[in-house]
Formats: sequence, structure tokens, C-alpha cells
Amino acid sequence: MKIHYYPGCTLKEKTTALDLSTREAMLRLDVELVEPEGWSCCGAEYPLTEEKIIGLAAPARVMRQVRDEGGDVLITTCSFCYAVLKRTNYALKNDALKHKRINAFLKDDIKINPLTKEKTTGFEDYNGEVKVLHLLEYLRDYVGPPKIKSRLKRPFPGLKIAPYYGCRLLRPQKELGLDEPDNPHIFEEFLELMGCTAVDYPFKQECCGSYLSVSLPEAATEASYRILRAARMNGAQAVAVTCPLCFYNMDKRQDAIRESFLDFGGLPVLFFTQILAWALGVDKSALGLAEHAVPAAHLFEDKPRAEVTL
Amino acid sequence: MTKPQTKKTDKRVGLFVCHCGVNIAGVVDVEKVAQVMKDYPGVSFSANYVYMCSDPGQQMIIDTIKEKKLDSIIIAACSPTLHEKTFQEAARLAGLNPYQIEIANIREQDSWVHTDKDKATKKAIRIVKGHVEKAIRNESLEPIKVDVTRRALVIGGGISGIQAALDVADHGYEVLLVEKNPSIGGKMIQLSETFPTLDCSQCIMTPKMVEASRHPRIKLLTYHEVESVSGFVGNFKVRIKRKPRYVDATLCNLCGECEKVCPQVVPDEFNMGLSFRKAVYLPFPQAVPGTYTLDAANCLGLSPVRCGKCKDVCDKKAIDYDMKEKIIEEDVGGIIIATGYDLYTMQALGEYGGEKYEDVINGLEFERILSASGPTGGVIRRPSDGQVPKSIVFVQCSGSRDTEKHLPYCSKICCMYTAKHSMLYKHRVPDGQATVFYIDVRTGGKAFDEFYQRTVEEDKVLYIRGKVSKIIKEGDTLIVWGVDTLTGKKVEIEADMVVLAMAMVKADGVQDLLKRLKISTDIHGFLAEAHPKLRPVESLNAGFFLAGCALGPKDIPEAVSQASAAAAKIGDLFSQKELSHEPTVVPADDEKCSGCAICITMCPYGARSMDKERGVVVVNEVLCEGCGACAAACPCGAAQQRNQTDEQIFAMVSAMLRE
Repeated sequence: MKIHYYPGCTLKEKTTALDLSTREAMLRLDVELVEPEGWSCCGAEYPLTEEKIIGLAAPARVMRQVRDEGGDVLITTCSFCYAVLKRTNYALKNDALKHKRINAFLKDDIKINPLTKEKTTGFEDYNGEVKVLHLLEYLRDYVGPPKIKSRLKRPFPGLKIAPYYGCRLLRPQKELGLDEPDNPHIFEEFLELMGCTAVDYPFKQECCGSYLSVSLPEAATEASYRILRAARMNGAQAVAVTCPLCFYNMDKRQDAIRESFLDFGGLPVLFFTQILAWALGVDKSALGLAEHAVPAAHLFEDKPRAEVTL
Repeated sequence: MTKPQTKKTDKRVGLFVCHCGVNIAGVVDVEKVAQVMKDYPGVSFSANYVYMCSDPGQQMIIDTIKEKKLDSIIIAACSPTLHEKTFQEAARLAGLNPYQIEIANIREQDSWVHTDKDKATKKAIRIVKGHVEKAIRNESLEPIKVDVTRRALVIGGGISGIQAALDVADHGYEVLLVEKNPSIGGKMIQLSETFPTLDCSQCIMTPKMVEASRHPRIKLLTYHEVESVSGFVGNFKVRIKRKPRYVDATLCNLCGECEKVCPQVVPDEFNMGLSFRKAVYLPFPQAVPGTYTLDAANCLGLSPVRCGKCKDVCDKKAIDYDMKEKIIEEDVGGIIIATGYDLYTMQALGEYGGEKYEDVINGLEFERILSASGPTGGVIRRPSDGQVPKSIVFVQCSGSRDTEKHLPYCSKICCMYTAKHSMLYKHRVPDGQATVFYIDVRTGGKAFDEFYQRTVEEDKVLYIRGKVSKIIKEGDTLIVWGVDTLTGKKVEIEADMVVLAMAMVKADGVQDLLKRLKISTDIHGFLAEAHPKLRPVESLNAGFFLAGCALGPKDIPEAVSQASAAAAKIGDLFSQKELSHEPTVVPADDEKCSGCAICITMCPYGARSMDKERGVVVVNEVLCEGCGACAAACPCGAAQQRNQTDEQIFAMVSAMLRE
């Protein structure tokens, strides 16, 4: 089965591990992920922070393309892409003024016939027809736990993983509707399905520092430290994330964290798709483990794993 | 349809046009209205006056009716909801049947909503013309008389229900007090000490409970639930379910042997699950009635084959496994609903740990911890490990005053009980730190603010203005994240225990009953008053009265006042020889009724039923509230509302539209 998939730009550049493991894992669930023709960056942080309509044009264009290719579902894994796409879709469905203005802007887009290279204009209005789903949501609601369970080759018996939702997956609930923001469980359910033990800790929805990583790195360092520390204190052997930026702040920044917080012992950070891919039997080489700053390869062993010693 | 024409009439109609100061006269030319209407067929008298509702105005009506021998009058004034009764009474004094009075509303429906004097005057004339047509077709009616059963039902045995029952009984009437739990006492009996005087709740409440159980005119029905109510004001039939207690209350001598041998241990509701009880239990030492109750849901099987230990040790042979549920039927004349409240659930507050953290508790749980008869014997210990907490954070408005995620209203009592909680904590753990997060401190009430000031100044409780965003746990310690909105700084406070001043919400267990009784509620599920200011303890359903927290959050004195007020209203009702019911009902005309029964489905009051033998609809006029839904639906014209017949309505419409 072919399903539309929006990787987002970070997955093509800095964190190919997330992209690669997602594709490999989904193939083992009989899903081939196809990218919409000519997709662009969703705009990341900017469409959500500014009250300007223009920022919503790029994500709206991506979703229109999916619709015009006959797709009704669009999967994404990156939390930022997910929030931007879904919230744009919500605005197009529920805000008549935004709908009108975005479509007025997008109408002048140029269509290129792939065969004749002939250029035309005149797109149909995009009205939010495509359903934007996070991969966790797709796995839960469309593939379903029984099927996933039947395909598991290498579940993780008892590996203690701390699920990290971050700030973009859950709020605003009215627009995203993935799970209860203050008491989420979709990630935990996923981890339990993989055979892991989901670690409960109070920082799973706290922000990692996000883009402060650029403008105020100390703030991001501290925010990430608090999350990792809480996960460790509650017995986690690794933290699982969905977002490349969270990964950057918590994995790549761990040297900085150790410099600032001497008590910190370190903790591997994984993408949830790496766990999924490995459990479904994907080869270790396709997990992109070389991208990790904090070594994580020891968690993906056929033999029983030793307790994490850091 | 025949075109209704101005009817030739012998009736002498009088018209009185009110100025209402400038309220009407400022926009409507009242003199012109009176002048023009003088010549209208049927009108024998027409005048205008500055305030018809004033004493001289009413005297003018009375004198004119007598002098001019009027047999119907129209008052062109304000809405009939305001002064119809006033003018009906004036007419009665003049010897005129009150149902010959018509109110033409030329204020709310004319002068208040228009500015053009000319057009408004024309409209007033049209309105008055319509009412003349109606008036000359009005019949004289007599109120329908009904007997009263002088016996009351009180639903709910908390402080409101108990007070209401005692007052009604002291008025000299019999009362049935129904409580669904094994003992009366409600939430108040669970409290430790009460603000602002710090008297012990049990000490002031148990005398009332005992009085209720001993009162010769109160029949206590604990472990009973009201199933349904039929009938009408003054004459209700109530079906009450007796839940089997499996212990004969008349035999049980509270020796407690059964409890000792019972192998089943379950969380104790009275202590909010902070301790345990047996399946056969006494809810609390002062329970009324003083009897054990065997809770079948937790019993091993109500049979000597399965267990039978309690039955074996009971010398009095009070335990009876064969007790069955029973429905009893009672007649009552009035009903007081005092079904209380519940607390907002912990699960709803995920940001405060939901039910994850044992040491995050609600105010009622803290009351039990404070109580000398509570799970810790009055020593403040936290639930997780029994340690005495050295730091407690109190969070006001937990769930209240949150328009986005939780409940928009103020739960009213939390400011005061949080002050009390923190004060009592400081009294018992003087070296402990008590911190209160608040949005505002609302201390409206007698001696309330003085009490709060004492908490801050003498007992050194730290009040921080701001909300708590999240509570997390690190090791054994809770960390409360909040904001101090006076300094604008984020704060993090370590606490051994957190007490949430949880919002008060509708009582869950009675919602089905309220639906069955068709008692209206507000958007939050609290009972709705007939009028929020002027009829605060009456329901819109005649014969139902309301008291206590079932109406909304309130403290003990206010609940008790409402209970007494509701009881006084029952007294009003029962002191009448017979009840009068408005005669403007909708009978069914046997001659015209086709028996289609459409009107039966339309009637919200169950007043209409089918006479199967004759194939026509019959009406219980006492139940009919005169809403007219049936009259509009009847395809045969058999359902004609008295003094609001189709003929009258069409005559009014044509008179108003005729140039």
C-alpha cells in the first residue's frame, strides 16, 4: 500500500536516521511511503509563531499536492512538521478568512505538466481534505497493534525507555487531538507494544528548549538536562523522541550538558522509529546509529543487553 | 375559515392606558390611544393614568368597574409577568372575575423597543384592539381546587436535608427523609473543624442527626433511593427503593463481632479511601441509624456456604442474607431536593499528577487526615509513607475558575477552607511550612476575613498569588511549579504533600433521578432555581423545593438557611386548605376529539391520556400547565385553551391587522 509521507527538510539533512528507519520499518508493515511531488519546507517554527497568513501557504501547498495526487492521508514523523501541517489544515477547515486568503494566494501557482512541461495555472481551492497523521497515530489507528505485533521479530524485553513527547505533539489539543496533553499515553502504548517498559517521568511534555538552541544555547542545555536527568532518575536506559530538534538538543548537546551539569551521567537518545524498525527486523546498518553523539548501538543487540552503565 | 369580525357584544369593556411615567408616555401618545379606542365596538370606558399599578391607579380601576358596571377590563401597560396579579386582585375587589382582565403589553413590546412616536402610537392602538377582541370573548373562570397531602419528602440526608426535615417536622408535618447511604450525615460529618469558628463538625452535627432520628414526625429511610415520582403538587406518589442492608437495624446492638470476623477488606469511603473497612461495617462511630450494614458488592457471597462468618458470630441474629430489595410507595404533598455535591476528580487534573501521586490529595481527604476520628487519629501524616509532612502546598482553584480547561465558576468555599487547612496544619506542625497558591482570596462572610488575616499574620502561612502549572515528583518529594504573579517570577517549591482545593461539581449519583423527576438544571448540572434572586429555593416544577449544594457551591450556614427556607415554603404549601390551580388549561372536547393522540405526545406534563373505551383524550386539569403545545398540535380543534381559544387568537390577529 502506498501512503503519502512528508519527511520534512531536517530528515533529509541532519537526521537521516529518522527518515531511513521510518521507511524501512513501514515497508515491513506493507506500507510504501511516497513523498508528494515537489514538497517544500513546512516553515518549521515560523508559521506557528507569527500571526501572518503567508506562513501557512507552504504547508497548505504541500497538502493540496497530496490531495491532487489522490491521497487522503499524509503521514509525518517530525513533531514540528506534524504541528504545522495539522494546524494549517485546521485553520483551512475552520477559519473562513484564512481559507480565503491562503487559497487566493495559492491560486496563482504554476502547474507544470510532467510530460509536456507545459505551464498552466488554476488550482482548485484546498479545503483541508487531507488527513494529517503522526506516524504514532497511523500505527495505532490504521495499522493497528495486532498486525504490528504479528510482524515483530526482535521485541525489546524489558528495555526501559522514557517516551518524550515534547511540546509540539500534544498542544493545542483542540487542533491536534493526538492525545490528552496532561496525561498522554499513545507513546507509552507504542513502547509497550515494542516490548519495552515505558518509564513514567514528569518531564515528558516539557519543552527541550527548541530553537533557543540557536539564540540562547544555555537555556536549551538546561531544559534538556532537566528532562534527561528526570528520565535517568526514573530508571530509563534511553529516551525516545519523535522530533529531530528534540534529538539535537538532547543528543548532540549532551557534551555541553555534561560541561554545565557535573552530576549528569549521560543517556542515549533514540528515535521511536529506530525502535520500531529494529523490532520489525530491520538491519542495524539501516538505523542510522552513526548519527548519534551519545552511543546507542549497544541497545540494539540480539543478545540480552547489559544494564546501561554510564 | 370564517373571517372573524368585530363581534356584536353586550359586554362592557373598560380600557386603562398607563403612562408608566415616561416609560410608555415618552414614546406612545397614551391620550390618543385612549381617545381612539373610546369608539371601538365593545369599549364602554377609556382613560389614561400616570401609574396604573399605584394605589390611586388601582382604586381608579376598582371604582370605575363598579361605577360603569364593566364586565371586562384591559390594562395597556407593562408585561403581564409583572402586574397581571396586581390587576386581577383589584378586579376581584371590585367584584369582577379575575379572568376577565387582559393585559396589553405596550411597554416591553412597544415603547421600549421603538423611538418613532407616531408609529409606536399606531402599534399601541393595534395591540389594544387585539386585546379588546380577546376580552369580549373571555369567560369568567374559577381556579381548579385540589386537596393537599400534608406530608413532605426530603431527598438527601446531608446537613441541608436534615435541617429541612427537622424544620418541616417542627412545623407539625410528617417528613420522609431518604438517604442513599447507610447513614445520614452527608459531607459535613466528614469534615474536621469548621470555619471561621473552628468548632468540630461532628460535635455540632451529631445532635441534629440524633434529633432527626428521634423526631416523632420524621421517618428516616437510610439506604433507600427514590425511584420515581408521579402526580402533581400537593399529591405526589413516590416510589422508593429499599436497598437490602442484610442487617436488621432493630436487632443490631453494635457489638462489632461481625466486623472482627469478616475477611473482606475494602477502602473506606468515609475516610476517602485513606483507610480500610470490612464488607460488614459501621460507616462511622456516630452513624445514624446506629447499625451495621453488609455491603453485598464486597461480601464473599451472602451465603453460609461461601463464608457466613458474620452470621455465625451474631448473637442477636441480626444478619439476614435473604433480605431483598423492596419498593415502597408513599404519598407526599411537597418534595425538597437536597442531593449535595461531589468534588471534581483527580483524573481530570493530569497536570497535578492525576491520581499518580499518593501525596497529592483533595481537600476532603485532608479533612479526614485532620479529623480526630480520621485514619491517622488527627495526626497529620501523608498517605504514601505516614511521615509528618514538613512542607505542604495548598492549591486553590484546582479546577475552578478555569474557563479553558476546567470549570468556569468559583467554588466559593475553598478560600476559607484552605485558610482553615493551613491554619490547622500550622497549629499541629508548628515548624512546618504551609504555602498557599491563590488567584484571589475571597472571604465574603461573617468573620471570614478576620479568620484569613489570622492565618497569614499569626500562623505565618505563606500566600503566593499565582497558579500552579504542574506538580512533579522527585524521589519522595513533590515539586510544585508555579508562578508568583506579583513578582512575575517562576517559583518551584518542594513539598511533602500537596492539598488541592478541588472544585465542587454536581453530584454524579443523582443525575438519573433528576432526569426522571424532570427537574431542570443549569449548564453545570446544578439544580436551577425558579428565579435566581426572588425564588431561590423553588424549582420551576410546582411542589419541588431545593436546598444546599445541589444548587451550587456554598458553605454550611448558607446551606442551612436554604434548608430552612425550603422548609418554610413547604409550610406555605401545607398551610393552605386546598391548592388552587390556574384554570386556563386545555380541556379536550369530546365532540371534536378524533382520538389521534397527537396531543398526548406533545404534553410535557403527562396531563393528557387516552380514554380507551370512548376513544377520546381525557385531561387531568391539575397537571396541565397551560403551555398550549397540545392546542397548537390538535388537528381537530378539540384542544382549546380556556381564554386563549382559536377563535380568540384569530379575532386578535384580524383586529390587529385591520386598517
